[in-house]
Amino acid sequence: MLAGLLAAAGGAGQAQALQRLTVDSFDLSADTASPKVDVPFHLLVRLRVRQHVTQIENLNLPMLAQVELLGDDRETLGSSRGTLYRETITVVAHVAGPMAIAPATLQAIDARDGRAKQWYTNGLTLRIAANGAPAAAASLQFALRVLLLILGIAAVLAVMAVAVMFARRPRAIAPPPVVVEAPPETPLPVVRTQWDVARDALAVLRAERTRAAAVTVRGSIWRMVGASEGETLGDVLRRPDSSDPPMRSLLVALERSAFTYDDDLRAAIDDAGFALERFIETAP
Amino acid sequence: MTNAREPAELRAALGETIVGQEGVIEALLLALLANGHVLLEGPPGLAKTLACRSLAAGLEGEFKRIQFTPDLLPSDIVGTRIFDQRESAFATVLGPIFANVVLADEINRAPAKVQSALLEAMQERQVTIGPQTYELPDPFVVMATMNPLDSEGTYALPIAQMDRFLMKVNVGYPSREEELRILDRFAVADTRPLRAVATLDDVRGWRAQAHGVHIDEKLKRYIVELVATTRSAQDVSVRSLSGAAFNVAELIDYGASPRATLALAFLARGRAMLAGRDFALPDDVRAIAAHALRHRIGFNYRLIAEGVDADSAIDAIVASVPAP
Repeated sequence: MLAGLLAAAGGAGQAQALQRLTVDSFDLSADTASPKVDVPFHLLVRLRVRQHVTQIENLNLPMLAQVELLGDDRETLGSSRGTLYRETITVVAHVAGPMAIAPATLQAIDARDGRAKQWYTNGLTLRIAANGAPAAAASLQFALRVLLLILGIAAVLAVMAVAVMFARRPRAIAPPPVVVEAPPETPLPVVRTQWDVARDALAVLRAERTRAAAVTVRGSIWRMVGASEGETLGDVLRRPDSSDPPMRSLLVALERSAFTYDDDLRAAIDDAGFALERFIETAP
Repeated sequence: MTNAREPAELRAALGETIVGQEGVIEALLLALLANGHVLLEGPPGLAKTLACRSLAAGLEGEFKRIQFTPDLLPSDIVGTRIFDQRESAFATVLGPIFANVVLADEINRAPAKVQSALLEAMQERQVTIGPQTYELPDPFVVMATMNPLDSEGTYALPIAQMDRFLMKVNVGYPSREEELRILDRFAVADTRPLRAVATLDDVRGWRAQAHGVHIDEKLKRYIVELVATTRSAQDVSVRSLSGAAFNVAELIDYGASPRATLALAFLARGRAMLAGRDFALPDDVRAIAAHALRHRIGFNYRLIAEGVDADSAIDAIVASVPAP
């Protein structure tokens, strides 16, 4: 779990609207490390805070352009230690291969020091496996089981042989103590700025030039400027965070890519990519 | 956009003649693009006639104004057959409805029979006089007005009749700045006649273009959801003028018809075209939602009894449906 100062990400103006939370843990996991094509699986975002709250605001899910979103289930559990928030996202992948899922983010005021911060979960790297025929999968599983059994028997025999050899040999001089290096310190919190989000968005658009990717990127950029679900472009453009010309151009271009007709989609995505590049160029 | 003359030019020209009233100007243009009719509600003296006359002049079209009164007859609107003594035969005299832009002033002052004649002509776009059926001109836009201040001796339009209007626009008073401009402009002479900036053929071309404006699937679902929410607004609340909260569903007898769904789509397309886009956005739907829903929702007596503004209830419905 990483935390960065929100002010550095240009979000200080929103600090008054943020929840005051003491974040104990914030992580992202999947119920399988190797999901299969066209087989639904779940992503789980877990957030534990010390306060008793009924809902968590300003929690942004990772961009999921490479998978299809099937459902989103939110649960808030209270206990004596605070609140556990769980969000289970049901998704399905349609293409085999490696898939990187960006971290989920949470914007809140850190109750420890009263400063507006942004927390990040870990990212996830999954390998989407091709979904073979059931018979082939069954035979492969059987072969694997046989192989594991043989390897297990061999390992047990080897351990027994080594134990017998040790029992018969004279006591050896104790080896010098092994110096174990201390684990590297946890890296300092990385502040993810709006330009980082824009770079991610550009990567998504370059990887997948589809309407779904455009809509996902649009949602991500809207969350970045503090827009909530259900607002229109007009609402978003009235926000103070949307006043810069590059940002306005970006929002307009993304709106076009989300709603234009199919024949214009590629050109609209090109424009959105160009607008993202221009926005990224404004990074300090 | 392939036409040499754009609807935006007509809008700009109308804006030069009429001070303020952007809502009325936009409503007229949207009705023109969507091939529909407009119902305007507002006090007298708000440039409604001027707007209609200017629209017709801007298109080189014909303008007619009909003042609705309690003694008006259907034949005064659609026309009649008179006996020509010299020819010893009946001749047809076409009524004032045969124009491109028709202002039906104070439509609620005429009895139901007359209203019905006008609304039928608006719907069918043709009129039958005696044995002969006559096509109305194309384009044909009716702008009907109702005065909310003086309701004595009026015949309220039934909802089923109002449903035939594409949109209902509430016209308000101009701002102080706009009123100053009106004073300056009309202090010396009467209004400047509007120069023609487009032709009737242009309008037919614009209409075809507006028809081709793309509405994404997400937007279609949004429109359907908006209209459906007018029929079951249990989760929507609105505050009365005194600040009390009410469930909107309790204030509505019946919601909008599927005609409202079509109207929202037509108007969103038109608005997108006026903005120079060939695809509609959620903002287009939001902007015209109240105009398309206002006269199609059957509010009950509680709305007035509790002091709730009808437009506030519609705004609450629109705000309750998340835009895509």
